[in-house]
Amino acid sequence: MRPGRTGSVVPRGLAPIALVLPGFVLAALIILWPVLQLGQISVSEVNRFGQIRGFVGLENYAAVLADPDFLASLLRTGIWTVGIVGGAIVVGLPVAIILHQDFYGRGIARVIVMLPWAVSITMTAIVWRWAMNGESGMLNSGLRGLGVLDTNVTWLAQASTAFPMQILIGILVTVPFTVTILLGGLSSISDDLYEAARLEGASTWQSFRRITVPLMKPFLNIAVVLNTIYVFNSFPIIWATTQGGPANSTDILVTYLYKLGFQFGRLGEASALSLLMFALLLALLVLYVALISRGEADR
Amino acid sequence: MRSGVLAAAATFALTGAASAQDLRVTVAEYSSATGPYFEDVARAFEEQHEGANVQIEVVPWDVLLQKLTTDISGGSAPDLSIIGTRWLVDFVNEGIAAPLDEYMDDAFRSRFIEVFLEPSIMDGSTYGLPIAASARAMYYNRALFDEAGLDGPPDTWSELMEDADAISALGDDIAGFGLQGNQIETDVYFYYAFWAYGGELVEEDGTSGLDTEAGYQAAQLYRDLITAGATQPGVTGYSREDVQNLFKQGRVGMMITAPFLSNQIAEEAPDLDYGVAAIPAGPDGDRGTYGVTDSIIMFEGAQDKDVAWDFLDFLFQTEQRAEFTQNEGFLPVNQEVAEMPAFTDNADLAEFTALLPDARFAPVIPGWEEIAAITSNALQRVYLGDQEPKAALDAAASEINAILEN
Repeated sequence: MRPGRTGSVVPRGLAPIALVLPGFVLAALIILWPVLQLGQISVSEVNRFGQIRGFVGLENYAAVLADPDFLASLLRTGIWTVGIVGGAIVVGLPVAIILHQDFYGRGIARVIVMLPWAVSITMTAIVWRWAMNGESGMLNSGLRGLGVLDTNVTWLAQASTAFPMQILIGILVTVPFTVTILLGGLSSISDDLYEAARLEGASTWQSFRRITVPLMKPFLNIAVVLNTIYVFNSFPIIWATTQGGPANSTDILVTYLYKLGFQFGRLGEASALSLLMFALLLALLVLYVALISRGEADR
Repeated sequence: MRSGVLAAAATFALTGAASAQDLRVTVAEYSSATGPYFEDVARAFEEQHEGANVQIEVVPWDVLLQKLTTDISGGSAPDLSIIGTRWLVDFVNEGIAAPLDEYMDDAFRSRFIEVFLEPSIMDGSTYGLPIAASARAMYYNRALFDEAGLDGPPDTWSELMEDADAISALGDDIAGFGLQGNQIETDVYFYYAFWAYGGELVEEDGTSGLDTEAGYQAAQLYRDLITAGATQPGVTGYSREDVQNLFKQGRVGMMITAPFLSNQIAEEAPDLDYGVAAIPAGPDGDRGTYGVTDSIIMFEGAQDKDVAWDFLDFLFQTEQRAEFTQNEGFLPVNQEVAEMPAFTDNADLAEFTALLPDARFAPVIPGWEEIAAITSNALQRVYLGDQEPKAALDAAASEINAILEN
């Protein structure tokens, strides 16, 4: 082949395919193959050790959809995901803005905010479980010391106290990652813009509304999408604190899935449920991305 | 060159397979002593059996069934494994557990205390050997009983209720009856009263016994204890370990649990003045304790069943059994071990052994874990006050009947 000519080993039309192919093969191995396996199990009669015994069509799906615990867990998963993803943004944005300012000790402050990220979520959840113990927990003794409580609260004994606490723990462990993304976004905004705004007499609030928020949008979107994927399927916090109890009242879909599959041995239904969850999450994200891109096209 | 490497690799793989004296054993982690104990046994066995190579894998209880499920479906099951005997029916129905009768002679059989070997026998074949056994009895705090002016542990549930009230009145931080309301065995804690009121988990007609007078009365009893303030507050937040911790701190008058609490008290709260008594009886004198055994099973797919059996034979010799039973605080399953002074002189254990004639084991039903979960959920609703005993148990019974019909 002579240099300077536009040409390649493969014909022009096939080039994109050739470039996509290695990535596709890798994704297929890691994602598609297990999904196909799940698909097969979900339409089969399976014994509790995962050995397939026959074809049952959509029976497993029907059984999952008819289960009242499924609907309750679905609703709770919605609250869980919106609560944590929203909470992490609400807490993370101010924290990121503060950490973006130049102040003495900023390096240490950044490390402290990021530290929870370095600890395994399961460990964090177990420590919180101890802290929320009704009789010997730090939380009760702290709140009593401050005079907020007169009597001990058994935080994990009922969903009305357990589930909000679990969401708070979820926010706590999601904030470091969110702050990291948002800090990246903030440092990409040129200082010149703020300087220009100040010269024009804009207040701090106006700079925030008109410069920071619009320019941060892509980063907020990334944080929302990645956190949603992660939180929707997050297992350790709920499992380590209440195991979805009492009486399934703090189950989200993924803990319910675990019970179906590994405690009750109903692997067929568990496979069906996990495919439903996969489809649901995919649909939500496609919808979200579509909404964003339409919003951008409108501008 | 390349084919040479391949040939070498193939030879290596072949020799690897040929030295198939590898024995993979999965054991449940009962305490921090379990792993080291089995490692020692494995090394001692290897010394006697040339070429044997025993690999011990220690797995926490919570994930044992999940791990075995994954291993079996992936075709990499171990040769021997400890399982909860209540899971055995699933392993037998699916042809995963191997029958052991061809290896067992009468001398071997007679090593065991009959009642513990029985749960591992199905359709006339023995599929597992009882590696661990326990029963339940009532622990009571003598100091609190004295302080409340009571002379001894209650013998019936109505006496228990009065005693629990009296002890609870001693202080805000003290509860008369420690009631478990969370996590594994929440249902079992209810069966103690349920059996005393004459209940049966599965009735003769093959349906659940929860929706009977015995069920309603037992659930109402626990509910009354909670509303009277005779239990620790927030029972649905307390697992068995949590209640045991309260007992060790001297803040609970009575609780029902397994013999291993004695070991824990000796280690963590040696000054605690406590006693062990029978589980209280119901109005008609009925009484029941929960007997539990864990079995060690051999897999049908075991590489070398003879070596696997030799290891089991070695494991169930008196010396090995005595050390294990003492380490973990279980009841002896070997006759000879039970007759050793360390066990006959132990007053706590004597109480447990005396209850064995009343011991009931988890029914041999596929799907027992799910039935237990349904029962626990119903009880938690009763304990929380979300549902009346009758409504909760009737709903649970109809769910359970659907499983029992299959």
